[in-house]
Amino acid sequence: MVRYFRHPMFITFAVFLILPAFIMKLGFMTLAIEVMIWIIFAMGYNILLGYTGLPSFGHGLFFGTGAYICGLIQQHIIAGTWIPILGSMLFCGMIAGIVGLFLARKRGIYFALLTIALTQLFFFIAFLWDGVTGGEDGLMGIERYALTFFGLFSIPIEGILSYYYFVFVILMVSLILLWKMVHSPLGSVLYATKQNEVRAKYLGYNSVLYKWIALVISAIFAGLAGALYAMLMHGAFANPMHWTKSGDVVMMVLIGGGLTNFFGPILGAAIFIAIRDIISSITEHWYLFYGLLIVFIILFLPEGILGYFRVGHASGREEVLEEV
Amino acid sequence: MAEFYSQLFNGLILGLLFAVMALGFMLILGVMEVINFSHGALFALGAYFALTLQPYLGYWASLIIAPLLVGIIGLFIEWSAVRRIYGKDPLLGLLMTLGMAMAFEEIIRIVWGKIGYSIAAPKFVAGPISLGFMWYSKYRLFMAALALVLLGLVWIFLEKTPYGAIIKAGVSDSEMVLALGKNLRRIRTVVFGLGSALAGIAGVIAGPMWSLKPTMGTEVLMPAFVIVVIGGIGSFRGAVIGGLIVGLSKSLTVLVWPRLSDLMMYLVLGIVLVVRPRGLMGEKSLLEQ
Repeated sequence: MVRYFRHPMFITFAVFLILPAFIMKLGFMTLAIEVMIWIIFAMGYNILLGYTGLPSFGHGLFFGTGAYICGLIQQHIIAGTWIPILGSMLFCGMIAGIVGLFLARKRGIYFALLTIALTQLFFFIAFLWDGVTGGEDGLMGIERYALTFFGLFSIPIEGILSYYYFVFVILMVSLILLWKMVHSPLGSVLYATKQNEVRAKYLGYNSVLYKWIALVISAIFAGLAGALYAMLMHGAFANPMHWTKSGDVVMMVLIGGGLTNFFGPILGAAIFIAIRDIISSITEHWYLFYGLLIVFIILFLPEGILGYFRVGHASGREEVLEEV
Repeated sequence: MAEFYSQLFNGLILGLLFAVMALGFMLILGVMEVINFSHGALFALGAYFALTLQPYLGYWASLIIAPLLVGIIGLFIEWSAVRRIYGKDPLLGLLMTLGMAMAFEEIIRIVWGKIGYSIAAPKFVAGPISLGFMWYSKYRLFMAALALVLLGLVWIFLEKTPYGAIIKAGVSDSEMVLALGKNLRRIRTVVFGLGSALAGIAGVIAGPMWSLKPTMGTEVLMPAFVIVVIGGIGSFRGAVIGGLIVGLSKSLTVLVWPRLSDLMMYLVLGIVLVVRPRGLMGEKSLLEQ
């Protein structure tokens, strides 16, 4: 029994469950929700980066699109919460499915190049198509409508505390789903593709198809995170799609040690947002320190915090390797 | 019709300048397998150095010295940081140079301030000139000449000198160059410095045409990037053709639908990639693995 309590997943849930008791009065609730949303984004993204080995540098595209689609569905189709969120996930999955037909045949630095170009393309579309997206001002007026359960009962999530727990439940479901996926045969094949694509191919796996699947999965989680973010901020903006912001999620995965540990992105997202918040409150020139910090992390801590302390027991990767 | 010609010229000249920028970016990408996100920041530094140096040294001296300084900065960042991530996950190089780009942009903001500057064109090319069918800016024609000279020099260096041959070999397979007994470490440092200097000189040349602001680096990086993908990694001709395509697509769109001018190059990129996945002049390279 004790074994379960020491499991990182359990610790994560426990921490986020009781966190509001400590930070509610300090006014850090929005920041904490932001951390949870970025965890969902970064964990989904890590399926692509850490488990499949495809260095996408344009996942802001799906995050940003998810936010817009959430708002557009709310404002033009149905004023609710479930349908806009599901719609965002579906739409992002579809975009990834289409661009994936082309991207899944690439890898390495060429894959990165193409994803950067793609996210820029979508950034400009969102920025210029102001009739639909609000252009520079963003798409405002995205609401947190009460959750309804088949008309039986409803729960309001407009308040910051109730929205916190709404995101918390989605975070739990997402993490469990991702954990199951990583430890399923699908996860093994993805990891095999990362380790040695040619070999995976010779074993009879269609590696292009699996890379495509990884891209679509990561995009669906990015869309989910984007929709939650739009509701948190009551608006959707083009900014997360710009290439200068696309490094954020990659840094989160890297800082925590996501390349070697399933739970790396959780730590990474929390640390990233904390650092950003602290530095930007101290100096207006926070970009300088942030930039230098990135350089130093890459130089001295390329495997992230968990990688540095050789915490890898929870990744389950060794088993994965033996299975394949 | 005069407007068409003037946009046509704008596009061609912009394209030549972009090509100079993209060449440096491509050489670094080809030899080091690093997507150098700080390339735009080095471009901006070139322009700002020229702004500060010109009152003291005059136009010609700062045209040489400002890019040299940028080249030295390039050598320094290669020596101090970038060389440590060669051969590792490409993502590390991306993130590291992205961090550098942010730091440089903020340094520019601290040193020169947030406000924009404009550099006056040198006296001997100030004002317009009559080309018979239209009036056109003398400075822009001068820019075209400078860009052509630079492209010519880089071409001679790459195609006609033994050093250029080694660099070209490094673009297609850097490990093989090492196996042949060349000092790969030094080659890489030199290429990084050269690429940075090319970005710097493009910045100096562009200064009088655009206003100088701290974000000019991030704005100019994407064209370089798109050019390399359109033209194909590792091809000199590809970079020049890609540069002209991007320059023209930007300026000619202004005639038809000005709002789309920033978007157009990405659409062109998409079309090129569907038809020729490796870019127009690209050959199969190790980068795809």
